[in-house]
Amino acid sequence: MTALSRRLTGARGSRQGMWMLPLLIALAIALWLSFETAQFLNGENLLNLVPQAMPLIITAVGQMFVILLGGLDLSVGSMISFTTAVLALGGPGWVLIPAVFVLAALVGFTNGFIITRFNVHPIIATLSMQYILLGITRVLRPVSGGTVPDVVISIVAGSFLGVPMPVFWGIFTLAVAWKLLYGSRFGLHLFAIGGGVSSGVEDAAHNFGIADRRNIVLAYVICACFAALAGVFLAGRIVSGDPNVGLLFELDAITAVAIGGSQLSGGIGSLHGTVIGALVMALLANGMNLTNVSPFIQTTIKGAILLLVVALQSRKKMGL
Amino acid sequence: MSDIRKAFAGTAALKGVSITLQSGSVHALMGENGAGKSTLMKILAGVHQPDSGSIQREGRQVVFHKPKDALEAGISTVFQELSLLPNLTIAENMFLGREPVTAFGGVDHRRMRREAGKALAELGLALDPGTLVSRLSIAERQFVEIAHGIMTEASVFILDEPTAALNAADVEVLNRHIRRLKDEGKAVVYISHRMDEIFAICDTVTVLKDGELVSTRPVAAMTPASLIAMMVGRELADLFPQRGDAPGPVVLAVEDFRITERSRPFSLSLSRGEIVALAGLEGQGQQRFLRSLVGQYYPFAGHATIKGKPLPLPVPPGGGVRRLQAMGVGFVPEDRKEDGLFLGLSVAHNIAAALHSKRPELALAAGYQRLIAETMSSLAVKAGSPNAAVGTLSGGNQQKVLLGRYLCADIDILLVEEPTRGVDIGAKSEIYRLLRDFAGKGGAVLVLSRETVELIGLCDRICVVHNDTIVKEMPAADATEHNILDAALSANGEAHGARGEHR
Repeated sequence: MTALSRRLTGARGSRQGMWMLPLLIALAIALWLSFETAQFLNGENLLNLVPQAMPLIITAVGQMFVILLGGLDLSVGSMISFTTAVLALGGPGWVLIPAVFVLAALVGFTNGFIITRFNVHPIIATLSMQYILLGITRVLRPVSGGTVPDVVISIVAGSFLGVPMPVFWGIFTLAVAWKLLYGSRFGLHLFAIGGGVSSGVEDAAHNFGIADRRNIVLAYVICACFAALAGVFLAGRIVSGDPNVGLLFELDAITAVAIGGSQLSGGIGSLHGTVIGALVMALLANGMNLTNVSPFIQTTIKGAILLLVVALQSRKKMGL
Repeated sequence: MSDIRKAFAGTAALKGVSITLQSGSVHALMGENGAGKSTLMKILAGVHQPDSGSIQREGRQVVFHKPKDALEAGISTVFQELSLLPNLTIAENMFLGREPVTAFGGVDHRRMRREAGKALAELGLALDPGTLVSRLSIAERQFVEIAHGIMTEASVFILDEPTAALNAADVEVLNRHIRRLKDEGKAVVYISHRMDEIFAICDTVTVLKDGELVSTRPVAAMTPASLIAMMVGRELADLFPQRGDAPGPVVLAVEDFRITERSRPFSLSLSRGEIVALAGLEGQGQQRFLRSLVGQYYPFAGHATIKGKPLPLPVPPGGGVRRLQAMGVGFVPEDRKEDGLFLGLSVAHNIAAALHSKRPELALAAGYQRLIAETMSSLAVKAGSPNAAVGTLSGGNQQKVLLGRYLCADIDILLVEEPTRGVDIGAKSEIYRLLRDFAGKGGAVLVLSRETVELIGLCDRICVVHNDTIVKEMPAADATEHNILDAALSANGEAHGARGEHR
């Protein structure tokens, strides 16, 4: 294996997973679209790409935290819809915005608590939560409607110092995630817990004296809060509450994380990889829209991509 | 630690053991496999919680709910199983759980690397502390684990078989550091099967047997022979059936078998009417050998012949057990609850499982009631009815059901792991009788067990396995626990030297 292909596919000697390959794929898609369609390089389309990709980037970054420790959160899609519904309840922004994050933290805590205390498989626990939240959301807002506080709209749609707001959202998201993942003991412990799980010694990190349960719960809280952040962003874009806006978002987020080189078994992955994975997904969606691929077929294609990425992963399990 | 008791799933692992550790002293913990050494140390390290008994530290009673509690009380452990995290670097592993932080609350990677590099250098290891553990060899990993355990501020150090993967030169480095800890007034617990190490560095030795304390003595007052005698010292109970007559034709032959790339090749043959044992210390390759015959392990090289037909190696893991069964070989795994039985299903279903596995997948399930009833009565399975769930039976009866599955399925070679683990004494002798009857009817049995006494009493021939190869073969009639342990431990020295040259 040449040094180049090793860097592209495995990064042996790192726990970042393969992220250069998806970067090339992202560039290839962009290149293909600029030749294939006239609209892609159009200024308006490019300007739209960032806000289009932003909710997925935010959700995927949150999802990455639980995937790193070998878990999964299927409730983020419902969490997004639920957030828009709460924001559209009517009320001042300074009440509603903190409220959605408190609620998200509560949901994440419940997920983590059920998983760690009652030993429920993360897929089952968060799938149940997905349904529970979906039901509550539909009670609050059966069809899309209502209006969100003006402040939400202005922090999403406006601009500051001539720079469009979504750019600040991106910077904020990455800064917070970077600090949590690389600038804290918590981040290292996440990798440690995931590394133990994926190498088959569940208690490895625990035996090192790490408070594994607390860290797992915290990761689910973080994941839910990032989903709520994405929900606030989307609410500002659509200006109303929508029970279906987050539908299947968990699938997109998990696919983005997997494309970005994270191992779904835990312990391997990176922040930049996840962002690249989300960009690949956003470019694909943009390209499929521009080339008039039916939205129904798009869903099928996304599912196939997730399957493909995961199938490629399991062959070289630890990828270390 | 006083009067520590612990049971796993109803089987007592420790039956009231007390031990006192003194600062400035190295305390050896010895005993045969399954004597309870590791369990005792895992309780001290907070991994397991004792069922009863107490731990006093400097006169005060302490309770460890989790490993973190023990670490905070100044007890540092090098575990027997390698438990480093492969996706973390050496430095991160060494500081995991006690990472230094910078002024901004982040992990101080630079300091971690610097200090880890210093610790590695002190152990004579030229490794970059930024290397991922997954890239290290087994011996290097063991050294990192040792470095993690002993390069820390603690007052009690537990080393559970730290030298299993090390060569002589590395062991000397470790011994030097253990002496340093001793001079610094720390208390060290040292578990090892290597006599030379015990006599080189330990001050006191405690011997455990079957979860009970045999004795605690100063090492100076002991000789290797008297130590082995203390570890063994047990009479052969009158449990075992009469041995068989002269064996018949060979049914299973293994030649030039190498379990790993570095292990010496060996041969083994098994004849009709014969029970052959794989004895030795735990984890020396007995299980890897047995499991490579059914496709649960990839051996490095070798030829195997079953009843004159060659068995291509490696056996594929997917259908290995099934293919072997078609050749008349049954495999009884060690862990009957995890690997052997369907605990939720009835006795009848469990017995018939092997019969069903021979028939086409979509064939209607046959009843087999008569066969099941016969098997149950010939094995004297104590169950309410054939419909009782296996999980509700006692360990001995569960084991009989598992054996019954193969005995009624037209099998003539049995590969058995741990035939009587967690089984009471009465059921043990019944199981021995069943295996002997099976051999008497022309079957052949290859058995491995941690209990040497059982192998001596049950088998016709004993193969002592050490370092992934058979180091000695002896007729069971001449074998004693002493000379089996001796064969394994003296082979230890040889292989030890050979590996040293290897480096």
